[in-house]
Amino acid sequence: MTTHVQHNLPAEPNRFVGRARDVAELCALLGQQRVITLCGVGGIGKSRLSLQVAAEVVERFAGGVWLVELARIGKAELIAHRIAEVLGVRDEVPGRVLDGLRARLRQADALLVLDNCEHLVDRCARLVAALMADCPGVRFLLTSREPLRIPGELIWRVPPLELPDEEHPHAESVLLFVDRALAAGARAVTDDMDDIVRLCRALDGLPLALELAAARTSLLSPGRIADRLKNRFQLLTTGDRTAPARQRTLLATVEWSHELLRPKERMLLRRLSVFAGHFDLDLAEQVCADGGMVRACEVLDLLNGLVDKSLVQRHDASGRYHLLETIKQYAVERAREVGEEAWLRDRHLRLICEAQERCFAAGSLAGRMPWPARFAYFGRGRSLLDDCRAAVDWAMESGDAPLGLRLCRATVTILAMRGDLAEAADWLERLLGLDLSQVPPDVVGVAKGGLAYALEARDELARAAELIVESIEEQRRHPYSHWLGVSYTVAVTVFLRTGQGDKAARYLQELDEAATAHDDLFNLATARMAQLNLALFQGQVRQAQRLGEEALALAEESGHRWTIARALTHLGAVAEARGDLEAACAHHTAALPLLRELDNRAELARCLAKLGRVAAQLHDHATARENVAASLVLCRQTGQRREMVRVLVALSVLAQSEGDLDGAVLAAAAASALRESIGQHGNRARTHELLTLARARLGETRVAALWARGLEQHPDEVARRILDRESRPPSPSFAPAPEVRCSALTPREWEIAGLLTRGLSNRAIAAELVISPATVARHVANMMDKLGFASRAQIAVWTAARGFRPGGS
Amino acid sequence: MVDSGTGLGITQGQLDELSAAAAVQLRRRGVRTGDTVLICLPVGPGLLVATDAVIAAGGTVWPVPAELEAGSLREHILASRARVMISDLPHALDAADESRVRIVVSLPDLSADLSADVSADFRADLSGGEPYPLGGEICTQSDRVGPRTRED
Repeated sequence: MTTHVQHNLPAEPNRFVGRARDVAELCALLGQQRVITLCGVGGIGKSRLSLQVAAEVVERFAGGVWLVELARIGKAELIAHRIAEVLGVRDEVPGRVLDGLRARLRQADALLVLDNCEHLVDRCARLVAALMADCPGVRFLLTSREPLRIPGELIWRVPPLELPDEEHPHAESVLLFVDRALAAGARAVTDDMDDIVRLCRALDGLPLALELAAARTSLLSPGRIADRLKNRFQLLTTGDRTAPARQRTLLATVEWSHELLRPKERMLLRRLSVFAGHFDLDLAEQVCADGGMVRACEVLDLLNGLVDKSLVQRHDASGRYHLLETIKQYAVERAREVGEEAWLRDRHLRLICEAQERCFAAGSLAGRMPWPARFAYFGRGRSLLDDCRAAVDWAMESGDAPLGLRLCRATVTILAMRGDLAEAADWLERLLGLDLSQVPPDVVGVAKGGLAYALEARDELARAAELIVESIEEQRRHPYSHWLGVSYTVAVTVFLRTGQGDKAARYLQELDEAATAHDDLFNLATARMAQLNLALFQGQVRQAQRLGEEALALAEESGHRWTIARALTHLGAVAEARGDLEAACAHHTAALPLLRELDNRAELARCLAKLGRVAAQLHDHATARENVAASLVLCRQTGQRREMVRVLVALSVLAQSEGDLDGAVLAAAAASALRESIGQHGNRARTHELLTLARARLGETRVAALWARGLEQHPDEVARRILDRESRPPSPSFAPAPEVRCSALTPREWEIAGLLTRGLSNRAIAAELVISPATVARHVANMMDKLGFASRAQIAVWTAARGFRPGGS
Repeated sequence: MVDSGTGLGITQGQLDELSAAAAVQLRRRGVRTGDTVLICLPVGPGLLVATDAVIAAGGTVWPVPAELEAGSLREHILASRARVMISDLPHALDAADESRVRIVVSLPDLSADLSADVSADFRADLSGGEPYPLGGEICTQSDRVGPRTRED
């Protein structure tokens, strides 16, 4: 899962028609502008145009082209999380995801396509401005009904498709309509072009309106559709009558198309609007069928009907569906109108909660099911995350703390297994602030434990300690659950970190006993790993080894690959501690494919760094370099600064092993500075040892200077110095590096360039050459284009520097 | 070169320089030979620069009087079928809604690279205040006929 996918653009559902010049111009503009916002009303084709442009420029962005769909984001603060999710950046410290994005994008030549920004314009503006400032190689292509209005933004107004006229009967709008009508199975649709022209004009060339109309041509001729729509425009019953004409045209077309639906199709369409983003048939059946008006067995047929009418988009490859934003908004309005919204969102919350609980139970960490079956549930759980967000929002809005907290409980494990906990922390904070009187106490207890887990990750240890104690006290009053085991583990970590070893030991004992009594393999293996850490801390290496082997045996018995990977990396640490570097290498190497499968990039980066460090100690410099470099790439991709500290330490060990003490000191200093900046404490013993050695060999002054330089240097620079075989990122394809070639200018242009060196005006040059001043101006503009200059003065200077004089050659 | 209506002036050299830079900006925004470019600006040096820039970029100027009322303005803009409009005027921007105009370029946009690349002689803030700031480069008729003219 760490393969380099350079874009996440979806396959086009059908042919892109028209706008050839627009696409070409936008591609060129992306070479010059850092932020382009495609503006226009709903249904005008902004998103489709942005995807077409993005697809054309994929190869120009070494750092990838990334589509971030924002329509499904309800809260502005989640924009950064959404971008992070698309880019694979993990929120290592909750609430600091922007730092992760900066780290990921600082050196990347990437294009971010932010689709549907209109409802989040202010936050988008701040985020884009912040990333522009810190990430010079990143460009943005946005779609929005409103521009961001930030410095440097190019607002590009998306017009409708060209309408036909006498000279251009086959305009873009006609071509799109005919293309889609033929795809919908219409026969002889082009028999009466006059009707098609009339219809395209009536629809103002709006692509979505044209698609909706074309989808009906298997039953209605273009002429009849045009007649009906004409009446519809006069009788528009919904929406703002003062809205701009195009908006009204679109609304009328959507309304017309909606009214042609059968009652059950209408009902399904408005119910589908509850989904946050893409959904599959199974989910549609569960949420939208009520056993009465719409039965589960009917949903497929109804859904296909909506796809045929272009009201629902189907992605054939994934078997998933989604609603275009304009249609979704219309459907939400209809649900509200019939008083179904609260019922629908309640139902969505409950069914998403149950679906996640099924995923959690089936993919359970504690069971002994075959791994592939469990992993499928893990994937399913992750695919529901957008809907989880929407459901948590509704739980907040409707005050449904019981379901909201149950949903969090099921989802936290799915998030944790991939190394993302930050977002769940936010959900839990909000939900625990609601009236909890109706929530079963054990659910509240688990929620507090989940929050403590996330707070520990962001070093809020005092609050984490308070919450975890409350959580465990409550959970102890109820039958044992997997969550209690996890809460014990959190307590052990929190109390060890706050120097309360006795308390930690007591919780560890309880964890061991409870997990053993209830045959909870996941928590039992975790208990062994905690005991291993304690033994290592106390210098009991043999004991640690025994515990590690037990942990691995338990993990293998459970078959859960995350647990196996964790046991292996713990065994690697023990082997390293006892000096058996080859065994350490073998353990870490064995963990790598498991972590790759889980896409747990933070743990993968950590494992690679450890492997690199061990290989360096074995003087296997090639392996060390390869693994540390891979870890570095992952750290950059995921914005993980804690793991970057490990990479720097590994680099320091590598440099030292290669006899490069300068590099070793630089990397140790850079690690120290980074550690300091994120408030992390480190192992000072190795640094002390290294500095003592370096001072003896290089002298106090030189080491002090190196240390100071390392503190200042960016980790990437230090890494490059040591890895030095790592290829530098290619220079941006858009970097203005005009190859100025004398041969690019025509003889006439040379003549004018020569006269410019004399400081002549266009008019004077025109008089000298007996041409018009406008012609001179055009030649000057051509030269500036060819030479990449922005002023006449530059041409003069450039020409003079080449010794060219008027009249010369 | 002085505009009789406003008294604002610009030298031939400044006009050449500013319009050349503006032509480059127009080309960068996709203006090609034969394209119609709307210009909706009040009379003054900016209008001169924009007009010369469009011609230098190979475009065809479609002037729209800035003082037109909204309906007429909209009709002019629609009739032009232009992809690019040069204007700073809010009512012109509104009128361009629902037209074929893709990009509205302001006067500061047209001189975007100028301040960095051109010597101080040519640095002029064309956008400025009301109607144009009178820096050292763009001057009023009274400046031109004032003491400096006598010294000349």
